[in-house]
Amino acid sequence: MSTSKKIAQYCYQCVAGPDFLTVKVEDGVMTEVEPNFALADVHPGAGRACVKAYGLVQKTYNPNRLLTPMKRTNPKKGRDEDPGFVAISWDEALGLVGEKMREIRAKGLRDEHGYARVAASFGGGGTPTYYMGTFPAFLGAWGPIDFSFGSGQGVKCTHSEHLYGELWHRGFTVAADTPTSNYILSFGGNPEASHGVMGISRHADARDRGAKRVQIEPHMSVTAACSSEWVPIRPKTDPAFMYGLMHVMLHEMPRERLDLPFLTDHTGSPYLIAPNGYFMRDPVTHKPMLWDTKRGAAVTFDTPDIAPALEGSFTVSGLEVGADDEEWQHEDIQVETAFSHLVKQMEQYTPEWAEDICQVPDGCIRRIADEFVSHAQVGDTIEIDGEILPLRPVSVILGKTVNNGWGGYECCWGRTLLACLVGALEVPGGTLGTTVRLNRPATTRQASVAPGPDGFMKYPMNPTDKDNWQETPKARNGHDTLVPLSASSPWSQALGPTHFAWMFRKESPENWPEVSAPDLWFVYRTNPAISFWDTKAVTERIAEFPYIVSFAYIRDETNHMADILLPECTDFESTQLIRVGGTKFSESYWDHEGVALRQPAIEPLGETRDFTDIATALAEQAGILDRYNNAINKGAGGIPLKGDHWDFTLDTDTKHEAEVIWDAMCRSASAELTDGEETDGLDWYKENGMRTRPISRLIWYLFPEMKKQKLRFEMPYQEQLYRVGKQLGNRLHEKGIEWWNEQLKEYEPLPPWKDFPGIWEQATVNSGGDLKDYPFWLLTSRSMQLAWGSNSSIQMIDEVAKNMHGHRAMIMNAGRAAEMGIEEGDLVEIKSTLRATKGRVALKQGIRPDTILIQGQFDHWVTPYSKDNPAPSMNTVVPMSLALTDATGSSADIVRVAVTKLAGAA
Amino acid sequence: MTRYVMVADLRRCVGCQTCTAACKHANATPPGVQWRQVLDMETGTYPQVQRTFVPVGCMHCADPPCEDVCPSTATKIRPDGIVEIDYDLCIGCGYCAVACPYQARHIVHKRDLAYGKEAMANEDKRFDEGRMSVAMKCNFCQGRIDKAKETGQTPGIDPEVTPACVNSCLADALHFGDKEDPDSNVNKLLAENQTFRMHEDLGTDPGFYYIWDKNK
Amino acid sequence: MNGIEPWHQVNWDWRAAGNFIGGGSGTGLVILAAIASLPGSQGVLYWPLGLLGAVLVGIGLFCVWLEIGRPWRALHVFFHPQSSWMTREAFVSAILLPVTLIAAVTASPYLPLPGVAGGTMWLAAILAALYLFCQARILHASKGIPAWRHPALMPVIVVTGLAEGCGFLLLGTALFAGSASWTLALLIGLVLARWLSWRRYLAELTETGAPTKALAVLNGATPMINNVGHFAAAVVAVLALIWIDAGPWLGALAGLLAIAGGWWMKFVVIARAAFNQGFALPLTPVRGQGEAGPGDKPGWRN
Repeated sequence: MSTSKKIAQYCYQCVAGPDFLTVKVEDGVMTEVEPNFALADVHPGAGRACVKAYGLVQKTYNPNRLLTPMKRTNPKKGRDEDPGFVAISWDEALGLVGEKMREIRAKGLRDEHGYARVAASFGGGGTPTYYMGTFPAFLGAWGPIDFSFGSGQGVKCTHSEHLYGELWHRGFTVAADTPTSNYILSFGGNPEASHGVMGISRHADARDRGAKRVQIEPHMSVTAACSSEWVPIRPKTDPAFMYGLMHVMLHEMPRERLDLPFLTDHTGSPYLIAPNGYFMRDPVTHKPMLWDTKRGAAVTFDTPDIAPALEGSFTVSGLEVGADDEEWQHEDIQVETAFSHLVKQMEQYTPEWAEDICQVPDGCIRRIADEFVSHAQVGDTIEIDGEILPLRPVSVILGKTVNNGWGGYECCWGRTLLACLVGALEVPGGTLGTTVRLNRPATTRQASVAPGPDGFMKYPMNPTDKDNWQETPKARNGHDTLVPLSASSPWSQALGPTHFAWMFRKESPENWPEVSAPDLWFVYRTNPAISFWDTKAVTERIAEFPYIVSFAYIRDETNHMADILLPECTDFESTQLIRVGGTKFSESYWDHEGVALRQPAIEPLGETRDFTDIATALAEQAGILDRYNNAINKGAGGIPLKGDHWDFTLDTDTKHEAEVIWDAMCRSASAELTDGEETDGLDWYKENGMRTRPISRLIWYLFPEMKKQKLRFEMPYQEQLYRVGKQLGNRLHEKGIEWWNEQLKEYEPLPPWKDFPGIWEQATVNSGGDLKDYPFWLLTSRSMQLAWGSNSSIQMIDEVAKNMHGHRAMIMNAGRAAEMGIEEGDLVEIKSTLRATKGRVALKQGIRPDTILIQGQFDHWVTPYSKDNPAPSMNTVVPMSLALTDATGSSADIVRVAVTKLAGAA
Repeated sequence: MTRYVMVADLRRCVGCQTCTAACKHANATPPGVQWRQVLDMETGTYPQVQRTFVPVGCMHCADPPCEDVCPSTATKIRPDGIVEIDYDLCIGCGYCAVACPYQARHIVHKRDLAYGKEAMANEDKRFDEGRMSVAMKCNFCQGRIDKAKETGQTPGIDPEVTPACVNSCLADALHFGDKEDPDSNVNKLLAENQTFRMHEDLGTDPGFYYIWDKNK
Repeated sequence: MNGIEPWHQVNWDWRAAGNFIGGGSGTGLVILAAIASLPGSQGVLYWPLGLLGAVLVGIGLFCVWLEIGRPWRALHVFFHPQSSWMTREAFVSAILLPVTLIAAVTASPYLPLPGVAGGTMWLAAILAALYLFCQARILHASKGIPAWRHPALMPVIVVTGLAEGCGFLLLGTALFAGSASWTLALLIGLVLARWLSWRRYLAELTETGAPTKALAVLNGATPMINNVGHFAAAVVAVLALIWIDAGPWLGALAGLLAIAGGWWMKFVVIARAAFNQGFALPLTPVRGQGEAGPGDKPGWRN
């Protein structure tokens, strides 16, 4: 008799998740993925999962899957070395890894340089966490682990947004309040490709109600396609466009069109700036001062009953505190407000000036500025759950390459400031942060808000003062030493200059400690050997690692260097309960919160094991089982097992089966969500998929919390960053480090325009290229179908992705191609000064003539299926360099290249 | 009378191909065969460019050229407007494929596998010899539509009796329903918006409407 | 843009072309054989030609049988006479072939039944004409292929069938030593008519609009079709009329050229210029605010 059932699952392959689905199982075989409409009322994506989830059936049954543990037999590592993997038993595999782990624990968890002996790298945005079961508990139980070997971070993520977004509005990721916004300025933002099911449906709803989105980017992405207007801007000149907008708003519009109360009462605009560039402070309390028009005197920002002057010049006495506590006492000097400084700074940036740089007509910039302000509805309010909030339905979003690398700071600042000028930051309709990662506690954005000394939110900068600066980096990428903004949360290591871990492995710069290879490197759901910049160099460094353990689904370029491959059950074969709802990455803001289950739909294939069972076995092998169980009890698996009125904690000395662990987790989650009333376990969740409870939409907005705590947004003037930068410079120079000087210049209180494209042009010249020979900007753009999840190796996903013109090809302007005698489908070489990649040409009108675009970045040479479907990859040609690294430690996917048609290869 | 039609809102579609993938799952089509797909169409000249994502497939025409030409009567138009193929009657002559101006019909002569030689469990499970060397195309997931008669549910409203592509659509761009029912979801959309149909000039009376703007 | 601009259909290849080639030449020949059976046709031995016509039609049908995916269900082809020209073609062929066979056999010295032969040959000719008409309608009904569905292709198919048949008749005349001045004149007339109908087809197809690539293929093939199938065939036929001594052999050559031109023409139409409709947008959608943009019909002329 045939059987058929539908099993509820979640998909969290990309950060825009989780999304829900069911998988149909017929006679023990998975056949169909479908939406889970039973959860439609709770899930903002209406119970639907995106195209990537439909690849998971093929992913499971992929004949190329690794189904047994393997060990390497060739001690030599390298691209050209055959690893000689042979199948071994789990006992042998775990025994080998256990031996290595015990050896390390015996030697000490840190090596002679102070670096953790164990390193681990996981894929994008923390999503592997949702598939690795209780492995986080293992990592927590182990002790220090180096997470700083990047696998794309910095160059592949919206890095500057993560750091500055958290600083200014607890926005590790920043999005439009799309359900309410009516005008969205998108500088290369790509919600239609990157914001998942929720983003796509919300933006479609916005279009339906007549919202306008203006897409500013050099090529026409799917997001530009779905926008009201496409503005083909010259690459990397976005800050100039924003400054042009600000000039219009500050110098060509009546001041009343801006949200003056917001600027005055909720930002640092009225703060007075002393002559050396720091705030004028009260000599006694050291608090920043502003000009109170009621009293006609300068007072500290927190003085009750004041009417601060937004702009103007005032005669004031006070104390100025600079870097390293340098102080200047001022008596009756003329000082201006931060806002006045801003107005003065923006005077030079006329739309005509911007046109010369961005190659966007000045009239277009003026019109967009006017539309932006007109749509802002300055003065309007909206009631949400009984609270009256400003309604400002305009927002600004940024995309990759815009908000990472040089210029990223200026773009993030410009974006946040544009929002502030019309009072549209963290209010309904405006620009919102959606998650925190660097500030703690990370339970909600609101919970992470704490007052700092200057009336802004407190931010956990890595110290730069003499006593506390981390002189010798603890992580191999040096983020704690070089990047104060990267903070010190568990996520910080992955948010520093993660390429430095690779670069400095080869050769440390002057006066920088040697970077050692980790004794043991765990890799899961990441493939830095193809997904970073200068992948050839990264591959060489990986080959130098003495012992690599890869949790592997198929063979790939990174695990080509592995010593042990451990095959885990994939998405639909294993068990995990995760937290859902609240506000998370991208546009994942919900009206509910709770937990959702992923569960085995079929018996695991081959010898594959549930990741939780692997983690438990590793903990046992390492001799840390009790600590591991303890970590689970405390919540390292996602849910603490003990609450005020319930206790499902596990015995710490026992090796528990995965089902036992997750049953306890389910029971505890049930109790937590019902205040102890329900204690449903794993079986209940297997049947129902998830449990949630409604939450107030007020948590989408930070403004009410800021108001409650009487805090101001740290805008526009960056006094703190300015000081931090000076101090960092002092520390580095004291140590004889001069190679970070360019980066130190980024710490400007009001960042001026710099020739950002020129930085990349100069890099081309410095590496021996003549710009005439490298006339094109090479960029990339997210493919919704292929991004995340190793999807280029999934035949069905690859097939449907090809419906989008330009996949697996190099996109080029059709007119420019015609001038060069290049036709659709021609084979071309794309060459930077570093090296070349090859690919077929796809011609489009929707791209600037000076720009080319490669969507996929998949120059696979091991991964089955992918390696047989060649595609050009910009990762091969983008150089990894100090000069291209900004002060936050990131760079961008952009490089100058030459394009040459390969003869006879059409 | 009933006539089931599809309505695609071009203002909402983002070309994500989720419907394409959902269709491949629902109908177990072999590699390279897509009964539903979304075209990526560019119009204009730089910098005045438009890019439009256009879901296509069988248009379930009221006057289907494929049905006219089919010599075996394998292709039939049902009373509810669905153009169906009887795989047991079809001789695989391909005449319908050249008669269809929407390139919606596919004939596969050789079993093709996603990963070359080795069939995956799901491929084996769902392989249907009866669909080899005969014409195949979108049938509006007719099995689901037929189920509606038993359950009393409404196609286009209740997911169980709605085509897989419509269920899966992230942007709510795809809609399905009965055009003859004045109160149906699709009639409401057609009444409120301006639409066109693909190659309308060919006189096929296609049952697939594209919304391009609301009524002015 | 791949998958949007018309691309070449993949369902009918040389085998389908073979049906139009065999069917066209065969039916043309049967019709011409009937004419040749008239008294006063100067002794053309028509029965072997009628037989050859039937064989050609049969070869064409065999090609189709090779093409269909489920050959053992071939009889299902008879199920839809209400509207399918393919069914109708099949029905006609089912009568045409035996009737032609009977006509040929009864006209032959082996089973001479002159009373039967004359009538059945004319019946065969009528059926052949019907068959040829069916073939023209089959292409016309192929709405997915702009180069086929154009009504101006129908006269081309009919006329070329007759011209090819006439070509075969001339070949037969040479073989069976009949004198053939009327066949030469007819060939000249048919070749001229085919040239004109082809010209008209190209002009009207261009006028009404077609896939650019289809037009390019057709225009590219036209010089060869014209030079060989029309001009050379006509000139050689005229020479054959003038140079009486070499007349039969020049006539055969003219016939061959006419056949070659027609076959190549059909091969090009069926297997080279059969670009499908592709996809088009009459206008582009409004996204949020603004106006709809202009549409496009990529890969089309007009």
